[in-house]
Amino acid sequence: MASNKKGFFLVRWFKRMFMGPDKEVVDIMQEEQLQTPFKTMMKKFLKKKTVVFALSMFLLIFAFVLIGPRYWVLDLSEQDSTLTNLPPGYNMMSIPKEARGKIADIAPGGTYGIGIDTNGYVHTWGTTRITEKIDLADIPDEVREAKLVKLAAGADHVVAMDENGQLYVWGNTRLQQGNFTSDMKKEMQKGWKVIQLEASNQFSAVVTEEGNLYLWGNKNQNDINVTKKYQGKIAKVALTANHYVSLLTDGTVAYTGSKGKGNPLATTPKDMKGKTIVDIAATSSAVAALSDEGQVFVWGNTVRGENLIPEFASPVKKIYGGRYHFTALLEDGSVVSWGNNKYNQTAVPAVLTNGDAKVSELYVGNHQNYALLEDGTVETWGLKGFLLGTDDLGRDMLTRIVNGGAVTMTVGAISVIISTIIGVLLGGLAGYFGGKIDIFIMRIAEIVGGLPFIPFAMILSAVIGSRLDSNQKMYLIMVVLGVLSWTGTCRLVRAQILAQREMEYVTAAKAMGIKETTIVFRHILPNVFSLLLVNMTLAFATCMLTESTLSYLGFGIPLPQPTWGNLLDGANNSVVIQQYWWRWVFPAAIFGMCTICINMIGDGLRDAVDPKSNER
Amino acid sequence: MGKYILKRCGYIVIVFLIVSLMMYMLYNLIPSDPARAELEPQRKSFKNPEEYEKRYQELRAEMGLDDPMIVRYLRWMGLWPDTEVNGGKLNGLLQGNFGYSNYYKRNVVDAIASPMANTIFINIFSTIAALGITIPLGIFCAVHKNGKFDQSTQVVTMLGYSIPIYIIALIFMFLFCIVWRLFPVSGMKTPGATYEAGSWEEFVDMLHHISLPVIVMTFGSLGGMTRYVRSAMIESLSMDYIRTARAKGLREKVVIYSHAWRNALLPVITSILGWFLGIFGGSVVIENTFSLSGMGKLYWIGLNNNDFELVLAIQMFYSIVSLVGALLIDISYGLVDPRVRVDK
Repeated sequence: MASNKKGFFLVRWFKRMFMGPDKEVVDIMQEEQLQTPFKTMMKKFLKKKTVVFALSMFLLIFAFVLIGPRYWVLDLSEQDSTLTNLPPGYNMMSIPKEARGKIADIAPGGTYGIGIDTNGYVHTWGTTRITEKIDLADIPDEVREAKLVKLAAGADHVVAMDENGQLYVWGNTRLQQGNFTSDMKKEMQKGWKVIQLEASNQFSAVVTEEGNLYLWGNKNQNDINVTKKYQGKIAKVALTANHYVSLLTDGTVAYTGSKGKGNPLATTPKDMKGKTIVDIAATSSAVAALSDEGQVFVWGNTVRGENLIPEFASPVKKIYGGRYHFTALLEDGSVVSWGNNKYNQTAVPAVLTNGDAKVSELYVGNHQNYALLEDGTVETWGLKGFLLGTDDLGRDMLTRIVNGGAVTMTVGAISVIISTIIGVLLGGLAGYFGGKIDIFIMRIAEIVGGLPFIPFAMILSAVIGSRLDSNQKMYLIMVVLGVLSWTGTCRLVRAQILAQREMEYVTAAKAMGIKETTIVFRHILPNVFSLLLVNMTLAFATCMLTESTLSYLGFGIPLPQPTWGNLLDGANNSVVIQQYWWRWVFPAAIFGMCTICINMIGDGLRDAVDPKSNER
Repeated sequence: MGKYILKRCGYIVIVFLIVSLMMYMLYNLIPSDPARAELEPQRKSFKNPEEYEKRYQELRAEMGLDDPMIVRYLRWMGLWPDTEVNGGKLNGLLQGNFGYSNYYKRNVVDAIASPMANTIFINIFSTIAALGITIPLGIFCAVHKNGKFDQSTQVVTMLGYSIPIYIIALIFMFLFCIVWRLFPVSGMKTPGATYEAGSWEEFVDMLHHISLPVIVMTFGSLGGMTRYVRSAMIESLSMDYIRTARAKGLREKVVIYSHAWRNALLPVITSILGWFLGIFGGSVVIENTFSLSGMGKLYWIGLNNNDFELVLAIQMFYSIVSLVGALLIDISYGLVDPRVRVDK
């Protein structure tokens, strides 16, 4: 008997289940048409169109979350206050059709653009809606009527100047973005000659021909003071997120605000001393300066690669700053970008790098670059938008959904495996041996199954998980779900074994003197396997649901690690439900689709396994 | 029957003790020192560290923190006399002392009373609604098996039990609160409104606020229950005695409701238990989503603020509900199905 056995019993099971019986067995039963149980099941299973559809949908989603994280890499520390709650779309750099070819000036903002065409008409594009009521695309009538010469776009406000030097501000003006200072107003009435108009995060700046700098906006957050001794000597200003740096008329750079003490922006590089600076530009936290010899210096807080200045093929003519990157226009007409490349801000189109196109002006926004060519067309590179929008911390929803799906599915699968192992072991023991073991095991199952699931899982997660990090907590959730949800499997296996125990083949096995444990695990269990498969499929959906519910309540896998459950955390208020619908609709849709598909597959499998249920 | 119930009650007591011991042990895994917590604010009033240490040790003895865990458990349960300083009497769960909530700064009994009433009210409401819909729906679907109505119901119920309840809640919030503006998004009463306690207006206002949660809970439980009822009905409709009944010339209504349905009731009752337990778990989600002051919300707050006396008390409530629920199901088995003789 023993000599006939080939390989480990689990391997032999597997073979019988999926690949058919051994050759000798086939020889014996040649007259009958033999199919493995699995093949019979599959045949019935694949007959139903809805089930096949569900299966392919599930496989698609599965492949998506399995392969997706390689392309949409998750960065747990990611956040960007300028990209919060953006609706889905790729329109951040799409200049309206009617303005194409006749753009005269562009002011790129954080997530939108505003431009004047050659007829003096103002166009806006991208995400212009700041709040429910404020939309930058609602251009005031007085601005429409005025003949504008200069434009500047801030984080949530736009500044425009007409030919008489009159300034207009619209957008979010709740934080004094529109409150001009009194000496500014005086100058404006006198008719000032403005050489530069800039806007940044809730503050704006004007530099006049006399070398005077005027700043206005949100005082609390930003440094908008000008030290008196520099007034009258300022040639250009570069605004970072909350500060500014000035280029003086004598060719030096100075931090002319009042918060210069200990500020990295105020400490210019040593090797810059003595050089004559002709141009400056700023990112959100760093400043670049260009000397008359064409040398570029970068200082400030340069954590995102702003200081990795590339080799330039020809002397630099002008420099521009985005949020985390710099762009330079060279003498030969080509363009170079460097710094953070997360949104392809520094991926300059080939037309511009080889100097073929003649660039007449560059405009650089937070993550967007516009190159206005001499023939009137505009080349763009950088952040176009987000396919599924962003959440309240400016994180890409698509990345989070893909990575969250991977977590949710892993947790679901592993907890199902754990619960199945426990359930099969205990159920097998209880079912075959009966008596006291049966009573004992079933009492335990009754207690565990009787406890309300979610509260119990919550307390386990809270008590054990209080000192664990995000990864350990993920393992904890797997174990908790597995340990709490085995009772169904246990009952199923026990009931099946009770039924199978009375069958002839078991009697035959007994008569041959085979050990009892062998009979349970090698003879009976394979016959229960198909039902177990159904049970596992349905339990997979349930485990995913439970994990997501726990995470939604804050007792599962903690943020910032995304799961399909905690993506919806904080979505239960009317503002999010209505205005930021993409934050809940997309995760809910893909998760709902996934669980529906799994349940349909499970139902289909059950129909295929249990011929009796076909009648139902 | 009486003997059986007695036996089951004894079993419930044992299980309850085991579960509560388990929970108490879990609770004790958390490093906490109530004596230190109580003494720390008064630290400045002690002249020197020795005096403080002495008082601290005294307080530990008073609170009984140095006793073995099993003693502390029995004391909490009310089966072991309290320390001498605290009166030396039995004073625990069984005497109605559920402990002190650190978060609410009052006795757990007082903190729990009104949320418990709310939760039970909501749950009973949605239970009645769900049973009232699912049973007729399931029977109808079973009788008209594979018809158009049946098939579309199958699809809807599949959605109902596949989609997590908080997503259903979000969708319903969107439809009912934002598109149609029928119900408020969250809360138990209109903010700022003052009503006389126990007045009719107050009750109507509360009903207005809880109707959406009840609708969501009902919808969430429709899926599973309808499918159970349907499959149980189909099973019993395929039995020989149904054919006999029809052959006898009985009216179809009699065949369905008195012959088939009574036999289908048994598996339905089993599933009601699981569902009833689930509804308490589900109410944690619903109450949090809709900001209702119920047990689930209280439990969530307690867990988030490490108020474990409160959490333990609620957990005990959940355990008792599930155990008593199991007993009720067992007894009703005997009442519904004469073949099941529970006294054996």
